[in-house]
Amino acid sequence: MALAVPDVLVAQAQAGDEAALEALFRAFEVPVYNLVRRMLRRPEDAEDVLQETFLEVVRNIKQYRGEGHLWGWVRKIASTKALMRIRRDQIRATEELDDEPGKPGIHVGANIDLERAFEHLSETSRAVVWLHDVEGYTHEEIAEQMGKSVSFSKSQLARAHVRLRRMLDEGATT
Amino acid sequence: MMHCTMDDLGALQAGEASVWARRHITTCAICQQELEKLYQRAAQLKALPALRPPRDRWPAVQAVLRAERSRRRRTWSAWSGSLALAATIAAVMLVRPTGEGSNLHAELSQVKQQSATLEDSLKQFDVERSVLSGQEAAVMAALEDRISLLDGTLAQQVEGAHQADAELVRLWQERVGLMRELVKARATRARYVGL
Repeated sequence: MALAVPDVLVAQAQAGDEAALEALFRAFEVPVYNLVRRMLRRPEDAEDVLQETFLEVVRNIKQYRGEGHLWGWVRKIASTKALMRIRRDQIRATEELDDEPGKPGIHVGANIDLERAFEHLSETSRAVVWLHDVEGYTHEEIAEQMGKSVSFSKSQLARAHVRLRRMLDEGATT
Repeated sequence: MMHCTMDDLGALQAGEASVWARRHITTCAICQQELEKLYQRAAQLKALPALRPPRDRWPAVQAVLRAERSRRRRTWSAWSGSLALAATIAAVMLVRPTGEGSNLHAELSQVKQQSATLEDSLKQFDVERSVLSGQEAAVMAALEDRISLLDGTLAQQVEGAHQADAELVRLWQERVGLMRELVKARATRARYVGL
């Protein structure tokens, strides 16, 4: 996704102009929310991460030097914060759904579509699938952001696709 | 017949597959179909409609931003207080009956007076008004940052009172120069917004 914003708007935001900061928020609120909502299961968590992301953006916009698209910079902040929240939640509770070995398949009924199947994945799996398949991150980048190994990222992606395929196949045959 | 695992398919997708997987995929219709499904799933995920936040979160971000700015302004005022103290102590240090010390004292008094006058001039401009252009705003923000840094240095000079008196005068002169630029920038902006 290429989201270009005018350089003059970035300069105004860097100078602390509140209207420019709000314009940046308006330009990126939907893509940021969509990204983190796809990664996180609970909508309220995604809303919180959206807010945390923009607080970091407005606090650090002066540090943005214009290397690469601003969206790339904002996206990295958002995905890092979403991954931090996943890690924090994992500490609080073990992950349910597809991360439980031996758990029987979720009854999804007929005509399950990919979006619903995706929602049944664990947050870690959702995050890896979305970052890799949709946002185009490499396994190296995902591993770095998650604080895990490259092989962890690869195996999470493979497991998630096995799970998606199974859910879609079950949905198609019931 | 052995088929590709999902790891193999992922590796094929990434162009990192083993020799066996690369050969196998050319002859196995089942694995070709699985690989195609993998591509399709990624394409379908990309095509999902964007989810929109249910509530506007900007007011919350804005409130935090304003609170932080307000806190910074209070900090800046505290620095100004330190600066006033610095000025007083510097004046005491430079009270010498004759010679170079006397000249420095006069010079310091003059430059401090200029600084105070410029501070008064600045007060007539509303710093919360939005700016006309990013360039203007960037110039002003940079000047304010430099003045804040300089004020920090001046406050430290007081703590290290043994520092050379001439250096103190030079720092005050630099501050006056920056203040002049800031007053000029704000005055220009104020003219445009009709203050």
